[in-house]
Amino acid sequence: MTDRDSQRRFEAEAVPAAINDLHDELDRFWSDLDDVPFEDQMAFTTAVIEAASNVVEHGVPLDRGGVRLGVELSASATRLQARVLEINAAAHPDPLTPATGDPEELESGRGLFLINALVTTVTVERQGNTNVWVLSKESAPRR
Amino acid sequence: MQFTIEDRGTYTEVVANGRLNMVSAPTLRSTVDEAVGAGSRHIVVNLASTDFMDSSGLGALIGCLKVARQAGGDLRIACAQKQVQMVLELTNMNRVLAPYATVEEAFARD
Repeated sequence: MTDRDSQRRFEAEAVPAAINDLHDELDRFWSDLDDVPFEDQMAFTTAVIEAASNVVEHGVPLDRGGVRLGVELSASATRLQARVLEINAAAHPDPLTPATGDPEELESGRGLFLINALVTTVTVERQGNTNVWVLSKESAPRR
Repeated sequence: MQFTIEDRGTYTEVVANGRLNMVSAPTLRSTVDEAVGAGSRHIVVNLASTDFMDSSGLGALIGCLKVARQAGGDLRIACAQKQVQMVLELTNMNRVLAPYATVEEAFARD
């Protein structure tokens, strides 16, 4: 049985520079957890960065206060979870619909596809003035 | 992330050091644009020190590929690390941007 019990929270103005700061926070999250397989860390980090980048790129503020990016990371015995918060943002009409078109021509629109491929479940729900992305990945401890 | 350009005679090497994400992707675009504008037609992006790439970084690489091809040349990638290979394979973009094991191999058979 593993003793995984790690939680971290990140919040910043939803601007591109926040993505590098979030990535640093993810690196610290993994340093707290010594039994998560490297492949799971790699996949989960990529999915969280994709979701956060989506918030930075597409978040529409409800007022002049701007959109804020929040990320809550947690790890339990068999699961990694990230709640990616798009705070003070308009609701997305269809947030989980990926871009269409010739995949070899697209220069954007692969983020949602990657998120779906990299985690076990992904949901998006509206809570007050916030869009909440919940990314979960099953992750058995490394033997 | 830092980009450095090296003229290797028959090709230009762009070394990408750090995370290739939405922050650094525009710089990659402008770096390759400048190299092609200066006359480089064959570009190799060296990813040996690129420890992370997301869909924004991948989109920038594809944009750079188009720029090189429109100029009559080509862009290839080399030394892709595990996470970069994962993103290329999941998106099937390894068919378009096949990673070469070394920078030297990228244009060796042309």
